[in-house]
Amino acid sequence: MNVDIQSLGTFNQLAHEGAEQATASMAQMTGIAADVDVTKISLVNREDIGEELGDREFVGVRFGYEGELSGETVLVFDSDCTETLVGELLGGSPGEEMARSGVEEIGNIMMSGFIDGWADYLGTTIDHSPPEYVEGTGAGILPPAPADAESDQVFVFKSRIEWLEESVEFYIYMLPEYTPLAEVMAEHADTESDAIPIDKLEVFNEMTTDGTERAADNVEMMTGIDTEAEVSQISFAPIEDVPKQVGNDTYVGTVVEFTGVPSGFMLVLFDEASARTVAEAMMPVDVEGEELTDQHKMAIEELGNIMTSGFVDGWANVLQTSVDHTPPRLVHDMGQAIVDPLAAQVGQHQEHAFIIDSKMVTDDVAFESEIYALPNEQELRQALDELLVERADETEADAEQIFQE
Amino acid sequence: MSEVLIADDSEFMRNLLREILEEDHQIVGEVENGVEAVETYKEQRPDLVMMDIVMPIRDGIEATDEIKSADPDASVIMCTSVGQEEKMKEAVKAGADGYITKPFQKPSVMEAIEDVVPS
Repeated sequence: MNVDIQSLGTFNQLAHEGAEQATASMAQMTGIAADVDVTKISLVNREDIGEELGDREFVGVRFGYEGELSGETVLVFDSDCTETLVGELLGGSPGEEMARSGVEEIGNIMMSGFIDGWADYLGTTIDHSPPEYVEGTGAGILPPAPADAESDQVFVFKSRIEWLEESVEFYIYMLPEYTPLAEVMAEHADTESDAIPIDKLEVFNEMTTDGTERAADNVEMMTGIDTEAEVSQISFAPIEDVPKQVGNDTYVGTVVEFTGVPSGFMLVLFDEASARTVAEAMMPVDVEGEELTDQHKMAIEELGNIMTSGFVDGWANVLQTSVDHTPPRLVHDMGQAIVDPLAAQVGQHQEHAFIIDSKMVTDDVAFESEIYALPNEQELRQALDELLVERADETEADAEQIFQE
Repeated sequence: MSEVLIADDSEFMRNLLREILEEDHQIVGEVENGVEAVETYKEQRPDLVMMDIVMPIRDGIEATDEIKSADPDASVIMCTSVGQEEKMKEAVKAGADGYITKPFQKPSVMEAIEDVVPS
């Protein structure tokens, strides 16, 4: 089955418009001004869904839906903002039962708007179940991804909605069953031009996971910090939404431009505390003070270089090509400010972007790192076209053997 | 004690290699791009060049090719974060004698040097 860039764009737009419709409904009911910040489609391993929710407490409203598409959607609110939301809807301090009922009703109206757009586009009806009020921690707020014998990976549509005056976010997750969605996508694919076989996209996602694991191994070897690849996914979003994926926290890291098929940019980003931690773990002497010194920056630059190589080498080896990259450029700025110029450059040739987003963490010390890749869309498609699925495991090269031949 | 030239654009990595090597080898120069590597090689004629691949101005594979063209007996070990099969083949074609992938531990560096420049 194939999915093409145009239909991925259309589906993303549908999810975005659905989220806007849902947000408008909420604003009408509560008077709370909110804006859909970003919508993206991700291809993600089943067990990684909702990892980005961390361990915060959430309240949600779940629905099942059935028809040409089937699966579940969840409206997820931070627990803290639920009280305000219900207060605006019902006034005063409603009892617990009334509050739940209020949240369910807000969810019901919001999500009906969300689903209706999909039904209209597909020219069919999609029925949804009554709303179910749920509470949970982190990814526990989401239902288990629909089981499917076809794939360990699932497509997830996620919209992040910002509550303008409260700096609070909430989310809409749409978790469609894999096979019906793949079939609908295939029906809308233009197989003559820019189609990508879904199985190859999945293989590429697996290669990305391998790359993240290799980058985590490299961090561990250089710092002695026990590091694990936590989540890895390919997302698809309009170019203008790409910087929003990274957010506005301050990061230290490296940017490289890679050339070959595909070409693009790769970022390795650490929050400032993590940057200090990993850099100091790489240094032979202790460094005093809170500021990032030149020694810290040199260490981060080299670590970024090695992590980047660990990440792209697997692509090159599986694709039997070489992917060159520039020396790393150190960056220290707000996430969006780092990504804006890169997205603008990629956006000269394309309206949407695939974003490869990986994260690594450790239990022992406060350390978190994210890797983002922004490949050229056409070249990624060409690379996937040439990808031999049976070579998917051939990510590592044996230098000793090559030098003996 | 072999004379070693270190070519790497990362000061951090040059420091690390120097710390690993200086007990058993004499470091005759540290440079940060392929052009300087070729020039310094021609001036110093060290026993061994530890050569990074991804460097500004001229990369390590081109620099290795030029050094080997000028002196076929030169010994060059690629010391790089790049672990791509095609790059390794390019390095072989350019005349590299060994290949170490970063991150590395001291024993693997010493072993690679011993293979190329036996003590």
